[in-house]
Amino acid sequence: MLVMRHISKVFRTDLIETHALRDFSLEVAEGDFVAVTGPSGSGKTTFLNVAGLLEGFDTGSYSLDGVDTSGLSDDARSRLRNEKIGFIFQSFNLIPDLDIFDNVDVPLRYRRMKTAERRERITSALDLVGLASRAHHLPSQLSGGQQQRVAIARAIAGDPKFLLADEPTGNLDSLMARQVMDLLEQINEMGTTIVLVTHDPELARRAQRNVQIIDGQVSDYRPYESHVRPVREAAPQAAGATT
Amino acid sequence: MISHDIRPILSALLRNRTGAVLVALQVAIALAVLVNAVYVVKQRVDKIGRPTGVDVENIFVAISAGFATDYNHAATTRADLAWLRRLPGVRAATLSSNIPLSGGGSATTLFQTPEVKGEGTFMNYFDVDESGVDALGVRLVAGRNFRADEILPEDPTGSKPVPNIIVTKPLAKALFGTEDAVGKVTYDALGHPVSVIGVIEHMQGSWVDSDKLDHVGLLPRRAVGPNATYLVRAVPGQRDAILKLAEEHLSTSDLRRVLRIVRPLDYYRDRSYQADRNIAIFLVTVTALLGCVTALGIFALATFNVNVRTRQIGTRRAVGARKADIVRYFMVENWLVTTAGVVLGAALALGVGYALSRAYELPRLDLYYLIGGVLVLWAIGQVAAWQPSKRAAKVSPSVATRTV
Repeated sequence: MLVMRHISKVFRTDLIETHALRDFSLEVAEGDFVAVTGPSGSGKTTFLNVAGLLEGFDTGSYSLDGVDTSGLSDDARSRLRNEKIGFIFQSFNLIPDLDIFDNVDVPLRYRRMKTAERRERITSALDLVGLASRAHHLPSQLSGGQQQRVAIARAIAGDPKFLLADEPTGNLDSLMARQVMDLLEQINEMGTTIVLVTHDPELARRAQRNVQIIDGQVSDYRPYESHVRPVREAAPQAAGATT
Repeated sequence: MISHDIRPILSALLRNRTGAVLVALQVAIALAVLVNAVYVVKQRVDKIGRPTGVDVENIFVAISAGFATDYNHAATTRADLAWLRRLPGVRAATLSSNIPLSGGGSATTLFQTPEVKGEGTFMNYFDVDESGVDALGVRLVAGRNFRADEILPEDPTGSKPVPNIIVTKPLAKALFGTEDAVGKVTYDALGHPVSVIGVIEHMQGSWVDSDKLDHVGLLPRRAVGPNATYLVRAVPGQRDAILKLAEEHLSTSDLRRVLRIVRPLDYYRDRSYQADRNIAIFLVTVTALLGCVTALGIFALATFNVNVRTRQIGTRRAVGARKADIVRYFMVENWLVTTAGVVLGAALALGVGYALSRAYELPRLDLYYLIGGVLVLWAIGQVAAWQPSKRAAKVSPSVATRTV
């Protein structure tokens, strides 16, 4: 699903060069649920931006669902993001002036989908996150957890193969965080690959596989092997401990 | 595709409408002022540009005033005209009682019968000699010109009969309808019969604001002294050189009179239209400024909207919006604001136009101007929103992952 090989990403100013990612390699298989952890400044966000095609990289190669992303035009990257990737952000990033229905509709409109199909997808995504009855509420009328569930509905409405979650529970209390994690696990079980970027080891433990980034490199990189340890079963206790 | 985008943009706009409403009001006022101002300007420009019937560009005016007790008006004017007519490059010269298009002139009323009853017909008249028609450059389309022996002597009281007259077509029509005017008789204000011997195609008279500006008659009579007004028509391109020669000669040829004024005829025409020109310039300036202020308002609103929505733009880009989608979003949003203003402005423009037409007896606003104004405001809106929209498209999608 996601294959990054020897990626480097350098931020340059007049005075300094910051190597955000160096010789960064990672593979994520289809259906995987991977948690990416690491201390502040380790390169997690840069990885997230590169993996989500939100930023380019300097050297190396990155293929997403079999598509080599290097050399793609800006429009092609937008299309790939729209079709293959669902984003879940720490701050939800809902559009405050649009109601829930229209928020979930945003990526579908950019896919030039017909109205009837969009309506069906929005309704089923909102159903899945349990907010179909709030479709015409504004984000400000919902709790943080509900807003993040709307963001998840937006992310999955387009039926992406790959979900990229950036600290999805960072702004939530533990109960809401657990609901959001439950939802992510449910989505993963339905076949969607999930990469979860977090600094919270408790959350990371609920993923099938943990990857740690330190100083812009994967600290325990190895070419992909099938999981032998489904960590997910330990999740209820882990989540319970945080409440 | 654009109509596809309108509903969510409109609903977002309606939830956050203060700035949009203010800019829409600005657009509405701008449209109302623009349309009516351009309409008034067009009327003024049309008025200034009306054909005069007179060869204005090639004529100059010289005015002398005899002051000495032994000044002989008849002799001096005869000598002056003889000198002027001999000058190479002069087509014709005449003594005239007044200057066309100058704002000063003489008028009388003509009547159908010697009893001088009823309303009569207004006539703005000029005393000229046998060279009058040629010196004015007017076109004789029926009848004949005055002969030299028909030119009457000065008549300071204006009470002596003038048997022959040349009139403009509009005056002929006012006097005799569609009948051929040549040979017809009308009556002056004292009941003296006046025969029309010639008709000229068109000539504007003295007062540019008069609705009977082209009711003009030429009378075969020497203008009264001791002031002498000469209208001198040069061949094209020679006017200024001859004007200079005439000025030198007339100011020294007879020291019993003083040469008061030597000016091209277009000076008088331009002076008469000065107020119209000033109004047109003022309205064009105000309209242009208003257009600029409106553009700035739209630009400011679009810039503000882009600045406060940086994260939203990044999120839209992250979930799949292309740069063109972002540009389109802001252009459509701006178009909606402008359109709201334009709809309100159209109603306002019609209202203002109606009020102006009633208060100043102007013709009703032409709807083509309204359509033109709407298109101009739409264009201003799109041009003003273009740069902020392009700037919005440059927002990186990675903005979406930045922590607030």
